[in-house]
Amino acid sequence: MSLLSQIIAEAMHRWVHTLLLFGALACAALLPVAFHSSGGAAQRETTRLMRDLGYNLRILPKTADLSAYWAQGHADGTLPEAAVQRFSKADDLSYNHLLAVLAERVEFRGASVLLTGITAEVAPETKKKGSMIFEIEPGTIHLGYAAARGAVAGDEIELAEHSLTVAAVLSESGTIDDSRAWVHLSDAQKLLGMPGVVNEIQALECYCADVGVDNLARLRAELESIVPEGQVLRMDAMAETREKQRRMSEDYFAMLLPWVLAACAGVVALLTAINVRERRAEIGILRALGHGSGRIAGLFLGKAAFIGIDGALVGFAVGTWLAVTYGPEVFPETAGKIVIEWRLLGIAVVALPLFAAISALPPTLSAIFQDPADTLREEGP
Amino acid sequence: MIHAQKIEHTWRDANADVRCLTGLDLELEAGELCCLRGVSGSGKTTLLLALGGMLRPTSGRVILGEDDLYALSSGERARARARHVGFVFQMFHLIPYLTARENLLVARSELGRGERGARADELLASVGLTDRADHRPAALSAGERQRVALCRALFNRPSLVLADEPTGNLDPDSAGVVLDLLAEYAADGGTVLMATHSETPESRAGRTLWLRDGSLHPS
Repeated sequence: MSLLSQIIAEAMHRWVHTLLLFGALACAALLPVAFHSSGGAAQRETTRLMRDLGYNLRILPKTADLSAYWAQGHADGTLPEAAVQRFSKADDLSYNHLLAVLAERVEFRGASVLLTGITAEVAPETKKKGSMIFEIEPGTIHLGYAAARGAVAGDEIELAEHSLTVAAVLSESGTIDDSRAWVHLSDAQKLLGMPGVVNEIQALECYCADVGVDNLARLRAELESIVPEGQVLRMDAMAETREKQRRMSEDYFAMLLPWVLAACAGVVALLTAINVRERRAEIGILRALGHGSGRIAGLFLGKAAFIGIDGALVGFAVGTWLAVTYGPEVFPETAGKIVIEWRLLGIAVVALPLFAAISALPPTLSAIFQDPADTLREEGP
Repeated sequence: MIHAQKIEHTWRDANADVRCLTGLDLELEAGELCCLRGVSGSGKTTLLLALGGMLRPTSGRVILGEDDLYALSSGERARARARHVGFVFQMFHLIPYLTARENLLVARSELGRGERGARADELLASVGLTDRADHRPAALSAGERQRVALCRALFNRPSLVLADEPTGNLDPDSAGVVLDLLAEYAADGGTVLMATHSETPESRAGRTLWLRDGSLHPS
């Protein structure tokens, strides 16, 4: 009789035990699969929310006085507009979502507004993503809440002797953006008489997963090789918030998973120990029939591994179903990113039987080292 | 056939050591059916297990055929046990989740798959259990279970059968059937050592030995 046939026959006979073992192993697959599938979305959601805090890097001309930058809201000095394009050709950078900006204070309806010309974002080839900011058509203007001065969408306005159409008046943000008047970069260059230049490149710092790395030093070193005429300024509070939030999201899953797996391993070990105890006479008789330790070990480890395969299949199916069904309610922003991760099925089918066998090993060793004579001498009524 | 020399065994306990075999010698020939009698706790089961390579005695040798059982490695001893020894127990010790036929097939054997099936069917037919072959032990009577256990012991055509109270849980008719089978096996050249409390099996035995104070005495 083959080992597998014997394992299946025993598993069916002690179906309650088998069901409990299966449940523990399915949980060991289900929870990591559900966590990982929706956890990926959680991390993406966190990334998206953190990204929405805005650009946290400013690349300014090296000559710019930072005190004046904060006082005026724009930098003195200029950078060539082409400088931003250099990032798109570079690889493995800690910069992304690069936005060329030309900003200068101008008078509009008797008030000082910050005229801000922008163009489409640039990204390194390997990091192209959706834009973080709205696009502006040439000839149009988007007015900040405080800068609007009574203008409404559709109005034709005069600014620095140029006519522009108000595309939108932005809602109140409570930041300096309320005093901005957004135009296309080419319009700003024309209005300000500064062709082919910008005075700021805004960017988003790529997430640095390496704990203990001085990312600002890395940013500066990278900038030196791409835009040597620039200096980088980082909004530290924003950067720290981003990093902390992302690490918290990752640490949560990293902390939870070992406990879940340890609990499942404990249940598997306990159930196998009970199984060994129930089968003491069987172990004795198998020894009497000439079977060695390999067969005895195979009965217990094989059962754990066999049910581990079943648990992996069902755990993957249920875990994925939970993630796909309930994940979008929890992570609405990135719901579309919660998909069936077939890669996890392969991992589960290989790893779970191994996990089950390792968990069942201590009681299996007790079965191997059990003295069959002890059992066979115990003759009941 | 089997030769036990100066077998001693002491059960070690936390409180006290129990010396149950005290240097006994035993020799059984092929074709011999020998009864082993003694009071409860006299060491009958211990002796059977020691003779079958299941319990290393504290000292002494067990020579089965040409093998010095306890000089072999545990793997070699297990193989020797599979080839040469069949065990029958009072409590049958059938595997509860296997059918009668599967309980025979679970024995370690060097036969091919087809031969094993044929051997199992042949044995079950010889004890009148062909129609019970697919039944699990729980569905069999005590007599039927013991017949299955006996078939399992004989599966590899062993040279020695060690039977520990094989009729202890059986009604007289069933006990008679089992004893007939053992006698038939001995008549065919097998060796049987049967531990028993009952006097009934003695009538089928060529000789009876009494285990008293750790050593064997003729009746």
